[in-house]
Amino acid sequence: MSVGNSAGFDRHITIFSPEGRLYQVEYAFNACKQAGLTSVAVRGKDSAVVVIQKKVPDKLLDPSTVTNLFYITANIGCVMTGMSADSRYQVKRARSEAAFWKYRYGHEIPVDVLCRRIADISQVYTQSAGMRPLGCIMTLIGYDDKMGPMVFKTDPAGYFCGFRAVACGAKHLEGGNFLEKCFKKKKDYTFNETIELAIHCLSCILSADLRANELEVGIVTQENPKFRTLTEAEIDNHLASLAERD
Amino acid sequence: MSSIGTGYDLSASQFSPDGRVFQVEYAQKAVENSGTVVAIRGKDGIVFGVEKLVLSKLYEKGSNKRIFHIDRHIGLAVAGLLADARQIAEIAREEAANYRSNYGGPIPCAVLADRVSMYMHAYTLYSFVRPFGCSVVISSYDEDGPHMHVIEPSGASHGYYGCAIGKGKQAAKTEIEKIKMKEMSMRELVNEVARIVYTVHDEVKDKAFELELSWVGKDTEGLHQFVPAEIQEEAEKLAKKSLEDSDSEEDM
Repeated sequence: MSVGNSAGFDRHITIFSPEGRLYQVEYAFNACKQAGLTSVAVRGKDSAVVVIQKKVPDKLLDPSTVTNLFYITANIGCVMTGMSADSRYQVKRARSEAAFWKYRYGHEIPVDVLCRRIADISQVYTQSAGMRPLGCIMTLIGYDDKMGPMVFKTDPAGYFCGFRAVACGAKHLEGGNFLEKCFKKKKDYTFNETIELAIHCLSCILSADLRANELEVGIVTQENPKFRTLTEAEIDNHLASLAERD
Repeated sequence: MSSIGTGYDLSASQFSPDGRVFQVEYAQKAVENSGTVVAIRGKDGIVFGVEKLVLSKLYEKGSNKRIFHIDRHIGLAVAGLLADARQIAEIAREEAANYRSNYGGPIPCAVLADRVSMYMHAYTLYSFVRPFGCSVVISSYDEDGPHMHVIEPSGASHGYYGCAIGKGKQAAKTEIEKIKMKEMSMRELVNEVARIVYTVHDEVKDKAFELELSWVGKDTEGLHQFVPAEIQEEAEKLAKKSLEDSDSEEDM
């Protein structure tokens, strides 16, 4: 595959390169890896889980204000991987879209519809000259009463898809391979197995034993479809049972 | 991998091949060229100290302040281009006033920080505007205690226990990390902040500077005020003395 003569074509979002690529969109994907974080999302039989590293680079930071997990509605949550300010913007937009849907149609927006909407908005940025794509990937999780647990991801290109499991960010390739291997062996994961799979995946691809204060975990389950984040104590329990298994 | 923009840095609507937005990074450089701002969150209040570099002896004392009042209970200190910062202060004041009018109460620090950061972020998305060339620190004190947030030109914002932005930020951060701020009162912190600003001030490169000190906390009953003249004088005297002491130690 030729590297491609990118001179002159990748500066402007509306111009295709001779091979038919949009370089600015590809550069936006690189921006998602800039922060150096990786997130993993897994859909189990009756629950969905998102896990991301928590890095507090400065001792003077207030750790309670550092987070990449956000709720969009009470029942839909997301993990944002990528540029911090762009992430907050996309979350705000998603919240606004979800609230508008509730106002217009009288019921909660389903996860896949919200993801489609955010993806459509992201696509507009890839086609207009004055704006740049957002340098962040949004992975949404929610529990739908008809479809069960759902994991949807949308990226700077405006592409979106539902997943059984997905890894995003700096180590997404390693994460994807690891998850594929796991899903070949076993397809149905219970609630605890789902969380442990996600955490195990993250530790393996980062080659590090993660501690409870270096992780953020968000869950939705059949019994409690409201999006919530696990406390450090709960994460510790899962880490302990993961260690016992090994 | 180009680390100087070379063609990818002409507008905020362009990514470079390694996924950076150079215009935003250049805006952050504008912040690093300005006088230092030191802010520390103690157990019952927050103190701001600003090293306001005085470029001409003809300026009136106290002109071109870099600390702004937002509503009655919030302080905003800036590092970077002062003209851009005045715009941010104006927006912050409008947001605070709208909040009061809509919800009937003072705007919480985290909410204001969120709104200002969204506003600054919007200027990093389009090609026909440029990002703001300033970082701002916002602080307030309410029944949940003291709160402090820093917002960078990219629009990213975080809560902090202590922060330094501007020229001397590395040296100031080292000093701040030595202080046990969570146990100190705002009265004690005033002296510490003054001392740090004096320590990081570079006598050789920038001759004259004015120290602006402001605080908000239990002692001011949640109102953001400039530190009273006597307390400021005492703090500056102690700061100068500790500088002399450390200088004489080096001579020995």
